[in-house]
Amino acid sequence: MAEQREAGAALALLGPASLMMLLMLVVPLGFLARDSLNRYDPNELMIAAVTSANYLRFFEDPFYWNVLVTTIRVSVIVTVVCLALGLPMAWRLARSTSRWKSALVVLTVLPLFIGSTTRTAGWMILFARGGMLDILSRDLLHAGTVNLMYSEPAVIAGIIAINLPFTVLTLQSVFEGIDPRLEEAAASMGAAPSRAFWRIVFPLALPGVTIAAVLCFILCMNAFATPVLLGGPRFQMMAPLLFWAFNSDNNWPFAGAIAFILMGTTLGLTGLANLVIPRRYQAR
Amino acid sequence: MPSPILSRRTLLAGTTLLAAPAILSRRSPAAEQCVVGTWGGDYARLLRENIDDPILKPAGIEVIQDVGDEVPRASKLYAQKKLPRGTEDIACLGALNGYRVTDADLVEPLDEAKVPNLKHVRPDLRMPAFVPHIYSAQVLVYNTEVVKDPPQSLGDLLDPKWNGKVGVLSQGGNQWLIMAASLLETGTTTDFDKAKAFLLKLNANGLRLYAETDAFAPAFKSGEINVAVIWLARSVMWQNAGVPVKGAFPKEGAVLYVSGMVLPKNAPDKDAAYKYMNALLEPSAQQGFAAHMGYLPTVDDAPLTGKVGEQLAFPEPAPKLVSPDYPVLSKAIPDLNDWWLKSIQHG
Repeated sequence: MAEQREAGAALALLGPASLMMLLMLVVPLGFLARDSLNRYDPNELMIAAVTSANYLRFFEDPFYWNVLVTTIRVSVIVTVVCLALGLPMAWRLARSTSRWKSALVVLTVLPLFIGSTTRTAGWMILFARGGMLDILSRDLLHAGTVNLMYSEPAVIAGIIAINLPFTVLTLQSVFEGIDPRLEEAAASMGAAPSRAFWRIVFPLALPGVTIAAVLCFILCMNAFATPVLLGGPRFQMMAPLLFWAFNSDNNWPFAGAIAFILMGTTLGLTGLANLVIPRRYQAR
Repeated sequence: MPSPILSRRTLLAGTTLLAAPAILSRRSPAAEQCVVGTWGGDYARLLRENIDDPILKPAGIEVIQDVGDEVPRASKLYAQKKLPRGTEDIACLGALNGYRVTDADLVEPLDEAKVPNLKHVRPDLRMPAFVPHIYSAQVLVYNTEVVKDPPQSLGDLLDPKWNGKVGVLSQGGNQWLIMAASLLETGTTTDFDKAKAFLLKLNANGLRLYAETDAFAPAFKSGEINVAVIWLARSVMWQNAGVPVKGAFPKEGAVLYVSGMVLPKNAPDKDAAYKYMNALLEPSAQQGFAAHMGYLPTVDDAPLTGKVGEQLAFPEPAPKLVSPDYPVLSKAIPDLNDWWLKSIQHG
């Protein structure tokens, strides 16, 4: 009887979320998977079939490969920079006892209150010809025109600005969970702060750091607005390519295939990150 | 027998509760209702101001706009093909998609008895199941303050003096520019191989690509570009916004962009849809769109006067206007878009 009640409670608690996931994520993904095996026709749109042509089209063409490689390269750079910038910030925030601590946390979160497209528009004003950097370079430094718009560095800067708060917040909560007395103990035994950090805190934080890195990486692999707005038509990443296939000519089968290739690559690389981290440091 | 976790009665009550908002919010339908699938922004606003409120409302037809992009709208027509009752009475499409949905037998053929204003439509714009609403020509728009010797032809843009100063649209492809290049090279719009060869040279001359038409006005203002290959209508909108630009018709001919509407075969209220189609061809509605968006009227009984008349007046001698060959274009587009992405965007 008690077991039944427990099962009922579990169903009541897990049911709504599971049902939601099933209806809103798994079922549409199933449809998309089916669509990706169909054949495309310009006038009929989609003809029911079971063909691997859409996947082969992607893998047999070096152009699409290059788009995937660019996406991975940008994502790795963004993740590394976010970790490099985020680790000290998060560490400082976590160990801060200042009365300004909550204000600093709010400041970190503040950019998330503005939509990513709006923030990207800000970068556009900064990077564009006639923008702030250009005016600064031409009129104040007399150093010639600066036009960073439509370049890979612009996209990387834009995505870092979006992903950094997520990284810092994740890392901060990880550091908060590590007892500061461990560092004090290390210090009492003569370890310098940097040695205490790298030998004691960092290994303990590694599972959390992995999660922050994975979160940052996934966000970047799927970035859409920033590559489109700051990268322009000559720069391609996977999410804009997916949209191109769908929106330029209603090619749902190929767009579906790109979606699954992107998802598979992201999952695969995320799994790889877990293999790289020594087992004893992995998140459980 | 142990009692099930979820009894039949609880399940029924739960589903009823979930469905309650949908059941309760169903209002009785108005006398006549016309659902129009349209682009948003200025276009939707001008439909309301020139068609919905002044013409349809007094006739007792309530217009509901279903705002979205063209490509998803077209796919909706395909997806709803087998439904006895679709969700839209009118779908706004470009002429190319108008041709495609006609070819796929998704839309009603036009009937002049039900849309009397069709008799005023320009003969070169008529199609069997697509009502042309507005149109414009692809021209060479240039900055009048900087360019003293405007280009006369698309071929002129290969001159090194335009290096890095020419902007074109790149929205997944640009079939109109490909057709213009074909027109320049062969006098027809369908020799895509010759067009591609020309565009590779143009791209090598520092062609600038913009994903949105709205990006051109700031590019003209900042001096990033001096010439753009784009619709005459856009130059009129920019002139009205104070950007010093003018459109020059290329001497080899200007390709037409036509936007209009179709009536899905499974439209819920076809009578209302026919009335809507007729209303959009009314002279007042056509003049309203010309005045605010710079698109040309598709009918012969809506003369343009005043400022807009001057802005949209054709030069003398009359320019050559060329309609696309939609059947050929439609088949070629997947290849053209793929080529554009690989050879122009990444060329």
